[in-house]
Amino acid sequence: MYPGLYHLAVTSPVGAEATALLPRVETMIAVFYFGLFAASFDFISGYTGYLSFGHATFYGAGAYLVVLAANGKLPLPYDTPFMLLIVLAGLLAVVLALVIGAVSFRLSGVYFAMITLGFSQVIYVFVRDWDFVSSSPRDGAAVVGPGGGEIPVFNVGVPGVDALNLAIGQLTGDTVEGLFGLLSLSAVGYDTFRYKLAAFAISGFFAGVAGALFAGFRRSVAPDNSLFFLVSGDALLASIIGGFGTLAGPIYGRLFDETVREFLSKEGAGGGLLPYLRGRLSEGTLATELFNGLTVREAIATFLNGHASLYLGLLFVAFVLFVPRGLLGTLRDRVGDTLAAAVSKRLR
Amino acid sequence: MSLAVPLVAFLDALGQFLRPSTLAEVILNGLSKAALYAMIAGGLTLIFGLMGVLNFAHGSLTMFGAYLGGLVLVLAVGQATGPLARVAYFFVAVVVVFGALAGLGGALEVGLIRPLYDRPPIYQILLTFGVTLVLDEAARIVVSFYGLQPISDWQAALGTKPGPLSASYEFAGVSVSGLALFEILVGAATVAAVWGFLTRTRYGLVVRAGSEDSEMTEALGIDVRRVFTTVFALGAGIAGVAGLLLAWDPVWGASVPLASETLLPAFVVVIIGGLGTFRGTVYAALLVGLVDASMTWWFVNAVDFSGLPQMTIFLILVLVLVVKPQGLFGVAEVGGH
Repeated sequence: MYPGLYHLAVTSPVGAEATALLPRVETMIAVFYFGLFAASFDFISGYTGYLSFGHATFYGAGAYLVVLAANGKLPLPYDTPFMLLIVLAGLLAVVLALVIGAVSFRLSGVYFAMITLGFSQVIYVFVRDWDFVSSSPRDGAAVVGPGGGEIPVFNVGVPGVDALNLAIGQLTGDTVEGLFGLLSLSAVGYDTFRYKLAAFAISGFFAGVAGALFAGFRRSVAPDNSLFFLVSGDALLASIIGGFGTLAGPIYGRLFDETVREFLSKEGAGGGLLPYLRGRLSEGTLATELFNGLTVREAIATFLNGHASLYLGLLFVAFVLFVPRGLLGTLRDRVGDTLAAAVSKRLR
Repeated sequence: MSLAVPLVAFLDALGQFLRPSTLAEVILNGLSKAALYAMIAGGLTLIFGLMGVLNFAHGSLTMFGAYLGGLVLVLAVGQATGPLARVAYFFVAVVVVFGALAGLGGALEVGLIRPLYDRPPIYQILLTFGVTLVLDEAARIVVSFYGLQPISDWQAALGTKPGPLSASYEFAGVSVSGLALFEILVGAATVAAVWGFLTRTRYGLVVRAGSEDSEMTEALGIDVRRVFTTVFALGAGIAGVAGLLLAWDPVWGASVPLASETLLPAFVVVIIGGLGTFRGTVYAALLVGLVDASMTWWFVNAVDFSGLPQMTIFLILVLVLVVKPQGLFGVAEVGGH
């Protein structure tokens, strides 16, 4: 649905503004697969309060599985259907989550965050320097097909990712609330370890799936964009802005995040503020000196161009301080129910 | 046969490694690394011990210190400046960096972290993580505005290092670089200063009392909030000075990614030592430094895997957390474990 709407908006009379403001279709796909990852991160971190700072491991494992399988480096036919690879990526992440979780859930609080971070950095460093992955493992691996063979094609589109998001959306409600209700039972002496571990495995599964989608869409993977601990940080950012402890929140958070990033992106990366301003402002305005020889053009280039992280970081800090429940969480507080339920009630 | 070849190679390498001159070199390198780790992690552990705040912005403060100190040195040192004067300027830079970073740290604590003390500890992690994003991007903007590459080391700052520190010296077949000796000296001096502050001054006593039981300390009529601010400022200042020292070390160098490069080892050292014990942090820095140096030797001479030192360090972290979660010297209650 989005590609059509986007095309309509861009060709409309406010086309220039729409190009500047709306994320491109490719970005929208990225929002969905990363949103899925962020949701899986929030599933464990937001609901249970066990901050899984090594969550990028599961995302990266899924991504590497797809690329390695497509390059014929795994004991699988290199043209294994993508849907099967997605499931395998999820299962690999489940195995990792069970191993890491079995050790890590003996700890809590800061220590849990640190041990998961420790595990993920061990794996990150290992993969970064493992020459089995590709000839220059630090730069990652691309889908090139097995030695001279045909290069597999993956069909990743908005519909596919969207369906998966719906699937994880189904997990909300009673199932999840019930599962985490059990966690509070540890206070009265029940053994909640198994439930925590199960939640961690579910969360890992979807992170692995998200990683597989990421690799399938990008057709390459690098240690720094999949396994590095700052990737978990990006998921954290999306979760906080969207709503910590809500499943759909992180997806909206990521949408917001990507939109701001693209709006302030470097030149040549689609729409955004910069080409818009360059096109609209007159040469006189652009060359005006602000102070000390700094022209408006240079000021834009210096303070806006590609520096979305600064503004997102400020926003993130503001959210932690003033809107701890995030966008979706605050909205839900306002209407007193999940949005879908509130809307359907109002319509009835 | 196929097994015997790597075994022979391994024993051969082990024989080389255990030669006294090699061992002495590795230990000296290890001590210099340990000095750096102790400086990077020292501020973090003070802050955590007193306030229970795991400061994710610590690496960014180190990176700020590296750039600011580098700036002082680049402005002060010319081609003709002699080695002694350069070292003197280094200590001028220490004062400037410590003051500036302590000010920044104090402001962060008062403005941003203070409102969060009554929230769950996870929010302090989240907040300082956001601060990191802002500080790193701000540094990137400023650095690239002055035409430097944010991701590569600042060569001009490296260039202000006096000649004798770049040279390497030989005693009885053991060669060691001047920089390593300098790092050991500065690191030992910092550790001694913090140690003296904690154990020999009245304010240090208050800090230790606050780490032990902040409510009780408050009940005795001490304004713990002010102590929090001071310690946060102190921790940030130490982080900055560590950064300044790194700006002279070609292995690290002043760059924006220095923030995350130093944050992770700092976490590792603090956790291994036990969150909140300064003594534990110093011992953990020694352990990690020596392991790092040994593994670097193995990587250079025997094992073809460049990630070996880093991976071993993180493995130690995981191992310590599994076996003794409160760290080697930690007390179980600290940190709400």
